[in-house]
Amino acid sequence: MISWIARPMVRARMSGPSREMLAMLQKTEEHECSCDDAYALLDLYAEMVAKGEDPSPLMPLVERHLDMCDTCREEFQALLIAIKSS
Amino acid sequence: MTNEEWIGHLSASGAGHETAIGELRTAILRGLRASLAGWSRRVGREFDSLVEDFAQEAILKILDNLDSFRSESKFTTWAMKIAIRIALTELRRKRWQNFSLDQMVETGGITLPEKKRDWSDPEVNAERKDAIAIVFNLINEALTEKQRKAIMAVGVKGVPLDVLAERMKTNRNALYKLIHDARLKLKAAMEERGLSVGDLLAAFDG
Repeated sequence: MISWIARPMVRARMSGPSREMLAMLQKTEEHECSCDDAYALLDLYAEMVAKGEDPSPLMPLVERHLDMCDTCREEFQALLIAIKSS
Repeated sequence: MTNEEWIGHLSASGAGHETAIGELRTAILRGLRASLAGWSRRVGREFDSLVEDFAQEAILKILDNLDSFRSESKFTTWAMKIAIRIALTELRRKRWQNFSLDQMVETGGITLPEKKRDWSDPEVNAERKDAIAIVFNLINEALTEKQRKAIMAVGVKGVPLDVLAERMKTNRNALYKLIHDARLKLKAAMEERGLSVGDLLAAFDG
């Protein structure tokens, strides 16, 4: 499971955007889910992460999408903070 | 409150409904203030009032969509998800309001700005420049103009997907698909040329 807690809110472009783009290409898969599909499951996914569970076996496509989509990942990380604050 | 109690009170009218609205509002405000703390410095004095507006808009949307809650998570988590989407969409829109897609792309191609770094080893520097040039050329050769603009804006400039979707008069899903197709095309183009993404990445990690 990706360590979501440690990841920065916005992907840090440590070695420049070209490196970032190559890293994205390396992780690109034929089948990726849409933003809407990830959003539909985001509450369940975030709750599992907040409890210390690993949601990836249950929702592998959501995990992959959050790894590839900065916009959705920002929303996920915000939701995680909100859950922990409640 | 249990999920059933939330839905029951919010679906009905009367004292229970008003109490539930009040508790929901409190929960949303607490969650937004915690999760958007990083934006408060950027937004400034307007932040508190914006958060109140986001909470109000979220409550209206939640009440309109109670039927779609599937009880797979806590009701408050589902509600918070809606509130965060509303808040971040608006905050990103404000932050990127001066972004112009037309000005971004240079005529005849795209540039990949790299931070100036003290890559004191000229050999490493040359390898990185080669890797950058390969990526740059493939983007220009293999992708459509629409794909180039999208991948540059999101992948290089860091423009949020929802902001760019609005500029390109499309929606977030369609844009994600466009970029996904572009990534697949680039990957295929590299493979056709016998190039390995891993080897190119090594030029940056070396």
